[in-house]
Formats: sequence, C-alpha cells, structure tokens
Amino acid sequence: MRVLVLGGGITGLKTAFTLSEFDIETIIVEKSSEIGGKVKRYDKIFPDFRSGKNLVKNLIASARNSPNITVLENSTVTNVAKNNRSYTASLSDGKIIEVDAIILTCGFEVFDATRQPEYGYSVYPNVITSMELESFLNPEGPTKGKLLRPSDGKVAKRIAIIFCVGSRNMKIGNPYCSRICCSYSTKQAIEIKENDEEAMVTCFYMDIRTYGRGFEEMYQYAQEIGVKYIRGRVSECSVLPDGNIQVRAENTLLGKPVQGVFDLVSLSVGMMPCVDAEELAGIFGIERGKDGFFLSKDDDLFPHDTSKEGVFLAGSITGLKPIRDCFLDAMSVSGRVVSYLTDLYKNR
Amino acid sequence: MKENNSLFSETGRESLWKRYIKDIPDDGYFLTLSCILGALYPGSEAMIPKVYDLFGLNWGTNPRPESGWSCCSGIAYHGDIMPIEGTLLTVARLWSIAQEIGVDTITMSCVTSFGIHCECRDLYENEPGLKEKIDRLLKQSCGREFEIPKYILHTSDVFYHYRNQLRDNFMKFQLIDKKTGTPLNVVDHVGCHYSKLFPEEHSLGGSEYCEVLSGMATAWGGKEIDYPERRHCCGMGFRQCMISPNRAGTMASVHKKMKSMSPFQPDLIITNCPGCQVFLDKEQWAIYEITGKKYFIPVLTYQEVAGILMGWDPYGVVGIQFHTVPVEPLLDKIGTPYNPSEAWLGINKRQVY
Amino acid sequence: MTKTMKKFDLKNQAFPGQETPGKNGSNELPLPDHIQDIKDSCPWFQRDFNLSEKDREVIRKYLDGLTDDEIIEIYYRMRDKKELWDGGYFYPNLQILFGTPFEREKDRREQKIWNEEYGESEVVKWYKEAKEKPCVWWLENHIIARHSLNSCMSCGACTALCPAAEFLDYNPRIIMETVQGKNEDAITQLLKSDTIWYCFQCGSCKTKCPRKNNPFGMISSLRQLSQIKGYHVYSIRGRQQYAARHLWGGNLWNRACTLYFRNIEVKTHRDFGPRHELCFNHKEEYFRKIGACPDMDGLLSGRKVHPETLHELRRLWQAGGALYLWEHIEDSAKKQADESGITIDEYHDKVKTEG
Ligand SMILES: Cc1cc2nc3c(=O)[nH]c(=O)nc-3n(C[C@H](O)[C@H](O)[C@H](O)COP(=O)(O)OP(=O)(O)OC[C@H]3O[C@@H](n4cnc5c(N)ncnc54)[C@H](O)[C@@H]3O)c2cc1C
Ligand code: SF4
Ligand code: SF4
Ligand code: SF4
Repeated sequence: MRVLVLGGGITGLKTAFTLSEFDIETIIVEKSSEIGGKVKRYDKIFPDFRSGKNLVKNLIASARNSPNITVLENSTVTNVAKNNRSYTASLSDGKIIEVDAIILTCGFEVFDATRQPEYGYSVYPNVITSMELESFLNPEGPTKGKLLRPSDGKVAKRIAIIFCVGSRNMKIGNPYCSRICCSYSTKQAIEIKENDEEAMVTCFYMDIRTYGRGFEEMYQYAQEIGVKYIRGRVSECSVLPDGNIQVRAENTLLGKPVQGVFDLVSLSVGMMPCVDAEELAGIFGIERGKDGFFLSKDDDLFPHDTSKEGVFLAGSITGLKPIRDCFLDAMSVSGRVVSYLTDLYKNR
Repeated sequence: MKENNSLFSETGRESLWKRYIKDIPDDGYFLTLSCILGALYPGSEAMIPKVYDLFGLNWGTNPRPESGWSCCSGIAYHGDIMPIEGTLLTVARLWSIAQEIGVDTITMSCVTSFGIHCECRDLYENEPGLKEKIDRLLKQSCGREFEIPKYILHTSDVFYHYRNQLRDNFMKFQLIDKKTGTPLNVVDHVGCHYSKLFPEEHSLGGSEYCEVLSGMATAWGGKEIDYPERRHCCGMGFRQCMISPNRAGTMASVHKKMKSMSPFQPDLIITNCPGCQVFLDKEQWAIYEITGKKYFIPVLTYQEVAGILMGWDPYGVVGIQFHTVPVEPLLDKIGTPYNPSEAWLGINKRQVY
Repeated sequence: MTKTMKKFDLKNQAFPGQETPGKNGSNELPLPDHIQDIKDSCPWFQRDFNLSEKDREVIRKYLDGLTDDEIIEIYYRMRDKKELWDGGYFYPNLQILFGTPFEREKDRREQKIWNEEYGESEVVKWYKEAKEKPCVWWLENHIIARHSLNSCMSCGACTALCPAAEFLDYNPRIIMETVQGKNEDAITQLLKSDTIWYCFQCGSCKTKCPRKNNPFGMISSLRQLSQIKGYHVYSIRGRQQYAARHLWGGNLWNRACTLYFRNIEVKTHRDFGPRHELCFNHKEEYFRKIGACPDMDGLLSGRKVHPETLHELRRLWQAGGALYLWEHIEDSAKKQADESGITIDEYHDKVKTEG
C-alpha cells in the first residue's frame, strides 16, 4: 500500500507520519527545496507561544527517519492517470510513481498585498506584510528579532497592524474571512510588546475573530499588556517626509475618522488558494469552490473525499486553519485513507 | 526632498499603476467643454483645440451649429437639482452628437463630466431596460438616437497619450529650474471623479497611484512628489462651494492639502479637474487671510503647463492672469520670457486699467 | 480616420441665418440697456441680497403685474439684443438678466407653461408615484439607491477618507447603517436633517467600500428623495436647494450650462482674492483676449447657446423630470416663505446666505 502526499507542509508531514505508523508507505512530493511549509518560519505560534520552528524541525526529523516515508523535494505532480484501482503519477523531475491513493496537502498562499494598492505595499518600504513581520520577530531572522524599519534601519516603536488585508473584500473578489489572521496578528502584537515594553502596537480590526480554544484569552491578554485595538477598516496608508506612515481609518465605535502616524505598518494578509490550485484541479479533475479553495465531496460527512475516488484533501488546502486544526486534519485524513485502502485491498 | 527617494519606490509605484491602463485612440474625438473651466480658466479650455490641431487630429464639437454640445448637467446632478434621468438624457444627446459626427470617442475637459459619462455607461450596463427607456425618451423629445460610445476619455488622457510627442516636437522649456538645473517638484492633484469612481475601467493608473498627471509632469522634466494627502478631495463639493456659507468645508480641505504638501516644497500643483483647479488656487488666498500663512503654490491645469512649456504667450494664450496665486514666479524658474506689464492689458494690448 | 471633420470657427461661430459679423465691430465693450437706470429704478434686476423692504415690495408688485406673455416677451427681447464687438456678436443684456428676481419669475412661469404643453413623461409619472410611497420603497426602487447598497458591515472605510466627515458632523457609515435599517421613521428623520446635505459628492467612499456599496450614490439618491417628499426645507442646508435650483437651474434653463462665468461675482467671492477682482472687473476683455466668447456666439465659454440646442435640452430636462423637481422645490419654498410671512424673493436671498 502506497500513498502519495502532495505538499510537505505540516499537514503533509503529519499525514505521512501518521500513515507510516499504520505501516503504509508514503511518498511526500514537495515543490520547494525543503519540506516544512510556512510554519518553519514562525518563531512562536499561537495560542501557546511554543516554537513553530522546533515543531516543524521535529516533524521533519521524524519523516526523514521513518523507513516508510520517502521525501522528494523540488518536485510536483504534472499528470496522473487512473488505472483500475491505482494511480500512476508523473512528476516534474521525470519520475513516474504508482500509488493507491493521493492526498493533496498543498496548503495556501498568502494574499499579494499589492492587490490592495491603497496600503502602499511595495511603494512605501515601511509597509510590510505579516509574513515579513514573522521573520522580523525571528531571533534567527534577518534583523535578529529586532523591528528595524526597512527605510532607515531605526528601531520601530509605533507599530500598526492592519487586519483583513485581502479578506472580507468583495472589491478584490475575496469575500471570505481568512479566519486566523486575527489570531496570528494578536500573537504578533504580543510578541512585539513582550520584546519591547515601550513599543506601541495598534491593531485596526473590523471584528476580532479569535474563535479557538485559548484564542480569546490571548486577545484579552494582549489588551491587558497594552495592545490597542481600534475598530475600523483602514482606508489608506501614506508616507510622511520622515518615512513614517500615516494610517487613516474610522474609529467606528466613536464614529470619528482617525489618522495615526506609525513607524512601521504590518498588513495582516489573508489566505489565497495555493498558487497551483487551478492546475491541480485540472490534473486531478476535482472541483474548487467560489473562493478558489478545493471542495470536498461533503463538508460534513466526507470532509476529505473529493469527487474522484482515491484523491483526498487535508489541511489548509480547503481553507485556512490554525496549525492545531491542520494536525487534526492530518490525523483524520489518515483514518479515512486507511479505511479506503483496507476496502481497496479487501476487494482484490 | 532628497530622503524622499528611499521612502517611495518608483518601481513599486510603476508596477501598481500599470495594472490600470486604458486604450486611448489616436484620433477622431468629440470634444465637450467644461462650465467651470470655461468660467474661470478659459485659456485652459481654448488650448485643448489648439493642441489637438498641433497634431492635426480630427475632432469636432458640433456637426451643425444647431446641434451643439452642451454642459453634461453633472454639477446640477451632484448638486441635486437634476434627477438622474435628466442627466442620462443630456448625456445621451451628447452621445448622439458624437454619432452624428461619426466618432466613437468622446473627450471632455471636465472631470465631473467624465465621471458622469462613466456613470451613465455603468448604469446602462447594470440596469436592464434602461437603454430602451432612454432611447424612447430621447426619440420622443428631440428625435435623436444614440449609442454608447466606445471610448470615454478625459482630455488629460489625450494629453497624456501625446505627452512625449508634445515634449519632443513642440516644447521649448522643461519643468526644470533654469538656474540650478534641478527638476521642479510637481504635486499632482487628480480629480476624484476621474480616479475614484471607476478606477478599474476608466482611470489611467487607478485611484491610488494615478498616472495621468504625474506621467505628464515627469515626461516634461518635473519630479513627482508623493505626499500624505495626495488623494484627499479638494473639497469643492458642488453645493458646498457654490453656496458661500458652505464654503468653509472647501477651505478646510484645501488647507489640509496645503499643510500636508508644503514640507515637500512643491514648485507647482498640476490638476486635471476644473473644480479642483479653482479651489486649490483660489482658496489659498482665503487661507492666507484667515491664518496669515502664505502657501501661494501656483496651481495649473495640465493644459496651462503644456502651453507654458511650449512657450505660448502667458497672458494672451495661457491666461495666467486668471489665477489667484501668481504664476509668474514659476515662469521665472522655468525661464520662459514674459512681460509683466502686459498682465492686465485687454484685447490687442489695449489699456483697460 | 480619414474623413476630415468640418471645423467651425470656435471664436466667431455665427448662427445660420445671421449675417457673418464683420471684422470691424466696436472696440468698446457694448453696454447693456441703460444699465444705470435699470439698477436704480428696476430692483427686479438686482442681485443684491440686502434689498430694502420697499424694494422687495416694488419687485413683487412689478412682477405680479406682468402677464406670462409679457414677462417672457421682455426677457427674450432683452436677451437677444446683440451688438458687434471685437468681430463677433455680443449680447450685452445677459449680464443684467441672470440670477435676478426677474429671471427667476420668468423661469417659474415659463416652466409651468412647458409642463402644460408637453405633459407628463414616464419619468415624471414615476416620481409622482414615488412621492406617495414610503421611503423604504424608494430605497428599493430608485435606480441609484437600488445599486448603491448591497449590505454594509459598518467597517468605516468610507468615513475614514470622507472629507465631509473630517470637518463636519457627518458620517457616511452611519447613513448607510440607517438606510440598511429600513426604518421609515429613522429615514424620514434623516431626510429632514442637515446631515445628508453635508456630503461633498466626491466619491472617495465609493472606491474603498469592501462590500461594493456606494455611499456617494446613496446620498445623492436620498437628497432627491428628500426634495421629492419636501423634507429638505426642514433643514438649513436642505432648503439651500431653493437657491441651487435657481442658480444652476437658471443657468441650465437659460444658458445651457450649470455654471455661468458671471456667477463668480467679486462680492460673493471675496475669498478668491484681489487678483480675482482685477481679473473679473474686465473679464470680457481677458476672455476675449485668449479666444473665448463671453456672452457671445461661439463655443468657448460662450454660454449663448444656439436656440435649437437650448430647445432640445429643455425638452430633455422636462422629460427627464428636472422641471418636475424644480416645481417641487419651488412649491416647498413658496409654502415655507408664506408660513414665515416673507416674499419668495426674500426667501431666496435668505436661504442663499444662511448656513
Ligand atoms: C503570518 C502567519 C502567521 C501564522 N501563525 C500561526 C500561528 O501562530 N499558529 C497557528 O496555529 N497557525 C499560524 N498560521 C497558520 C499556518 O501557517 C497554517 O496553519 C499552516 O501553514 C498550514 O499548513 P499546511 O501544511 O496546510 O500548508 P503550508 O504550510 O502552506 O504548506 C504547504 C506545502 O505544500 C507545498 N506545495 C504547494 N503547492 C505544491 C505543489 N503543487 N506541489 C508540491 N508541493 C506543493 C508548499 O511548498 C508547502 O511546503 C499563520 C499563518 C500566517 C500567514
Ligand atoms: S480572521 Fe480576522 S483579520 Fe482575518 S479576515 Fe477574519 S476578521 Fe479579518
Ligand atoms: S465602507 Fe462600505 S461596508 Fe464599510 S461602512 Fe462604508 S458602506 Fe459600510
Ligand atoms: S462622496 Fe460624500 S460620503 Fe462619500 S467620501 Fe465624499 S463626502 Fe464623504
């Protein structure tokens, strides 16, 4: 029994590892040069602020050590053919592999912040994205964990975090909520505050959707240590002569337009379907929803199944989830695949 | 502002505005003019046909004297004394004149008009049955028929389109300080109804980093200034500026812009909207009277800038005497010759004062 | 494009049937009909806001004493008087007619006649019906309102950039909230308030709304509704529409432009500075110098439009419901003026100067 896991992020790794515990052979096909996905770039992860890097490191190690797991990096699937019961997959590096089932764990892509030009990303150097902020917060990152402004290398003391960038916006065709940016932004705000007590962090939000267990408590803690929350969607960022960024929003709770001046502005970008979504949908002949993410056969009853037998989905490929839910997904898809394979082999 | 360079990425900006480009046909324009521009800066308006003629373009305003262009009724619509149907009909009549002339490009010198034409087109696209209804009413009331024109262009689009040819073939001067050789700092103020109403379809460069004016300014030698309130409305506000007790909001908006741009030491402000042109220019005097602060930054339309750079007579063609903020200091910087004693002479240089 | 278009002389476009003006017309700017005498003895040609009680009485008595035919006849006779100036026809009386109680009275009566002559168009029928329906019906049916609100999540992106919100007691988000609430009383109250009249109609909000709402359009539609219902006279900013109706409406009806270059009078535009005064005292000279046609035949700034063009436009505005709206504004104003015991002329001057 052999399963192809496409995408070596935390979902893919955890899935492969779980299946390997059932003695099922898995091949992880990862497009980039290194497995681990996005989480390996996070110094701390919410809600418990443990190290994301270490979490991934451990996962990678167990995958590499497992005799049941083969990792193929710098590779992806370019074509699949269904045989009677199995699939033959052609990979971009020329390899051809035969597998019984395929699990897609290609994850998500962050929103391209230049698509909301009003925030000045790519025009004003002191406007960065949350992904960049993650690397600024990383002690092993380019700034050694310091918040240094790209324009002049000065330590940023006043930071604005703008929520819902690329989400909840019909104008750019993303009406959905990305679900976790409220939480990760709050996490980042806390990290900034904890690294530097004097730093002032202001979050511009529309609704705080810290929905998970322990998430709301994290929000409360952030407020207690002095992170400011202003309810209003930011309309525009502009640059002042000294490189500071002026942010305009309405404080909707007071009903007054406000203009704040900040050293650094971070855009909490939302999720987009993974870059290859369209291509993958074509290769596997499976459907995507209006939001571009992949559709399962039935959200409630068959959350991992697709319209094609033997092709499964897990992790943030069906919509952004926190790490915790990706792990859950990995384990539950494993259960589903084990039962699928058992069925498949019983009938042989 | 030297430091400004590291705070503003030209390449970043370019990659953003280039997402919003529109087709600009080279020739065959129906031209409609502007009430406000004609009333306050008639020189700017008179220069449009002059520039069209420089390139030998085919253009027209009326196929027959009886079938004349008119105001689009836009100010009345935004001033709320014209129902949308009245405006739709007024515009439909203009479109029918365009058809009579035989062109499918309509160019207007007014940004309010531009917004109105775009709005009408948008309504026809989104409101089933509207075209038929307006067809019917237009036919009944004046026996005309109309089609939605293929291109709706502001005259600044046309100037933008020809900006390099204007510079290479006709301009004798550049937006460069003659003494120091450095480019002049140019602030652009794009009319809200040009860039904000239908940025995707109709604005050159979108609403955030609109290119139409800064493209001209940089092509003609100037340096583009990005300042915080760049996109803030000038405050014209239709009914706000027309009824004098309401004009405080207009003044406040202009003041806000002035405060925000002055640290960047702009040499001139370039506009494409008649309304903005009027109030950015005129209200600087009111601000001076109220606060004692002399901003006095010359405000010019793109036509005036083009005219001045081509060396056209500042008083006889460009009409800088219509400005509240004197333009002469700018002429000194650019190095265009002018005779200040001619400023207030009338027709044929006769003395009126 | 190979076809070369027929060009008209922009500066001296003569109307068909008119002899082409000679080159040698007078150098002196022709004066309007005995302007001095008229101003003193005929206050109905005054644009001054501070008229004496006595003058106002004289105005009313004179205007009320004219029949419709008379006032229309006098107006057009005066308007069409022309004299040669700088190689073109100059219409010297336009400057005494515009914006006066006389012109306003002529418009009132003439528009009534037009309405009777051409009857109700389908647009007017619709507005008449709408007047009787609840405000909520309007929101769901008026072409602009209907396309302006999908659903508002009260994010404030519109208010953040709104120039009116910045300086005035105004908030487009709250307007959208109120409209979304579909509560007849709340909407009526909004329509009677100054609030909706603060909007600058700049459109900054439209670009930014993440729900593709259009506060800019919605407010414009609410203002129409307020006037159709006659609620605008309840607020100071709203009743200014009476001045707007005669300022822009008068320009459109008589000169086919919303803004006429003589509107920017020095005494009402002190904020435009001393150079404006220098310039506007001899505007005809400077306009002509750069090739425009102040109160002349011709295109640029001419505003002496061709009679047939004007006729077509008037028909369109009648069919498009503008006359119906103006009549409404007129009636509401008259009613309020009567209630306060002032003449309609005084009412006009009052709403134009208060705020
Ligand atoms: C700024 C930010 C901070 C966050 N912080 C937290 C946090 O603190 N706590 C938390 O719980 N969650 C956090 N998250 C969410 C977290 O990133 C996701 O839950 C997690 O990355 C999802 O993992 P995944 O494996 O599904 O997808 P990914 O991490 O996106 O991994 C997908 C993998 O698939 C590969 N791939 C893509 N396409 C192909 C293809 N065609 N062929 C082969 N391989 C392909 C990719 O290269 C990648 O390695 C954060 C998210 C962001 C944006
Ligand atoms: S999770 Fe929060 S920040 Fe992200 S889209 Fe939803 S509401 Fe906006
Ligand atoms: S921007 Fe749109 S959604 Fe947000 S408050 Fe304004 S109208 Fe409502
Ligand atoms: S159109 Fe009106 S509501 Fe919208 S931003 Fe401008 S002033 Fe504000």
